[in-house]
Amino acid sequence: MSVRALRPYGLGLLSVGAAVGVALASELIGLDKLEVPLLLFAIAATVWYGGPGPGTVAVVAGILCVDYFFARPRYTFVIDRADVGYFAVFVLFAVLVGSFAARRRRIEHELRRAHEELEARHAKLLDVTHDAIFVRDMNDVITYWNRGAQALTGWTAAQAVGKNAQELLQTVFPCPVEQIRAELLRTGRWEGELTKTRADGTQVIVASRWSLQRDAEGRPLAILDTYNDITERKRGENEIRKLNAQLERRSLELEASNKELEAFAYSASHDLRAPLRHVAAYAELLQKAASSVLDERSRCYVTNLLDSAKKMGALIDDLLAFSRIGRIETRMTLVSLGEVLREVLRDFEWETDGRDIAWKVGPPLASVYGDRSMLKLALYNLVSNAVKFTRTRPHAEIEIGCRNGASEDVVVFVRDNGVGFDMKYANKLFGVFQRLHLPEDFEGTGIGLATVQRIIARHGGRIWAEGVVDEGATFYFSVPKPRGQT
Amino acid sequence: MNGLGRILLVEDDPKDIDLTLGALAEYNLANEVVVVRDGAEALDYLHAAGNYRSRAKENPAVVLLDLKLPKVDGLEVLQQIRSEEELKLIPVVVLTSSHEERDMVASYKLGVNAYVVKPVDFHEFVNAVKELGVFWAVINQPPPGSLARSR
Repeated sequence: MSVRALRPYGLGLLSVGAAVGVALASELIGLDKLEVPLLLFAIAATVWYGGPGPGTVAVVAGILCVDYFFARPRYTFVIDRADVGYFAVFVLFAVLVGSFAARRRRIEHELRRAHEELEARHAKLLDVTHDAIFVRDMNDVITYWNRGAQALTGWTAAQAVGKNAQELLQTVFPCPVEQIRAELLRTGRWEGELTKTRADGTQVIVASRWSLQRDAEGRPLAILDTYNDITERKRGENEIRKLNAQLERRSLELEASNKELEAFAYSASHDLRAPLRHVAAYAELLQKAASSVLDERSRCYVTNLLDSAKKMGALIDDLLAFSRIGRIETRMTLVSLGEVLREVLRDFEWETDGRDIAWKVGPPLASVYGDRSMLKLALYNLVSNAVKFTRTRPHAEIEIGCRNGASEDVVVFVRDNGVGFDMKYANKLFGVFQRLHLPEDFEGTGIGLATVQRIIARHGGRIWAEGVVDEGATFYFSVPKPRGQT
Repeated sequence: MNGLGRILLVEDDPKDIDLTLGALAEYNLANEVVVVRDGAEALDYLHAAGNYRSRAKENPAVVLLDLKLPKVDGLEVLQQIRSEEELKLIPVVVLTSSHEERDMVASYKLGVNAYVVKPVDFHEFVNAVKELGVFWAVINQPPPGSLARSR
């Protein structure tokens, strides 16, 4: 047994001795019977501070001292009959006081241990979270440091506890720190973004929450800090802001170029058409006024002049219509293509009067989500092509139908038995002003299919064609099915 | 121009003036036309102000109005006509080169009586102008305060 372990025993004996001494001394000044309370106090104190072992020693020593010093006859271990009761009562009290004190001490100890365990478990729980959590006193000295704080900053609890938090982490505050403290003291909390420096010198941006802990009297006791690493989020936000700015710039550029395009189209519509009209008008006036004086060749010149002016008028009109498809906004509704087709076919009734055309419609056209007038123009152009390029056929066949398969698109086709085309020029079909036939064979500006393609592209669809020279052509376009029907 | 007429033609292009007058001539309406070359002059004529201070203050039977004009454009002239108590009943026909939908929409919103796009084909143009002239200047009963037919 070490000296340290023996100390409580010595203390027990010493306190019993002191109690006996004081009791004996007080007898000299006429104060009797002080030994019992004094010894009971010494025993209780020994049990309290020394534990059960020294307590037992104090109880035994106390009993022996009472027997020797105070029970009559005094200064012997013999006990007079008259003092047996007094002695027995003392023994009983000494044992009772000793055991009560011992029990009380044990309970106290268990309570304290339970409390400490609880605290340790709390601390462990705080260690489990990923958030950095630490506690500092009102002088910013760190008193608790969880594992999240270690992971975030690179400082271990042993390195951090006892240090000044702001110095350790070189905190950069967004506003004067006094202001933050004032808010914390007023409201009990503060939230904000802080820049901290890690143990390795790198910087980290944290979303920080401070909560003030007060004691029972309401005095500020400590501050609990919770940190979330938002460095990545911040970087992402900056990136997004940069991209947004870029996007905005581009959309402004686009808007400007759209405006220019519109101004161009407007000017073409007004200013290019006017001189053309004049050319056509004066050619016609000349034709009317001077046809009798002109020779055959000159009359032919005037006729060509007129034709060309009219042709250019048609080109400008078609080009403007084509550019309109790209400029105007689409008005999207649920469009029944079958209904649109019926309207288109009605438009062709008079034009195809007198021709032998076998129309075949089916399978019925589906409904799609799109701009009705644009889709009608697309169907009109395709049917118009079929009518035009079957003109040389004594018996024309035009079939319009829909392939509404399992795919995500509605596919519409227009098939004819007309002059067809060579597949090696298929890539030229949809270009602006691209033509595969001579103007004297088939009239046209070469913009119809380009317009169809533009319309279908604006609907998120695709257009393609198959053809064989002198056998016919089939044009297909796809439009995405309305949602919920795929 | 004698400052009196039942048709006010607002047109800046001399060839268009020539052709329009030629078309109206076929119906013997040419000599009843007053031609002004821009929007400001058109408003002066209608208000009997500026160079037209001396003219009798009566409204034309119809205004044939080009849209693209120097100084004050056609839509502004139209707006001015429709906003004035004295002028707002005058029939206005827009005669323009433009197929632009926004011009058409704007014109109809401002209360135009007809909107005609000048066709490239001259005889179509002649027909259009003739019909317009005949309808608005001859057949249509002009609103009170307009010049009665002089012949």
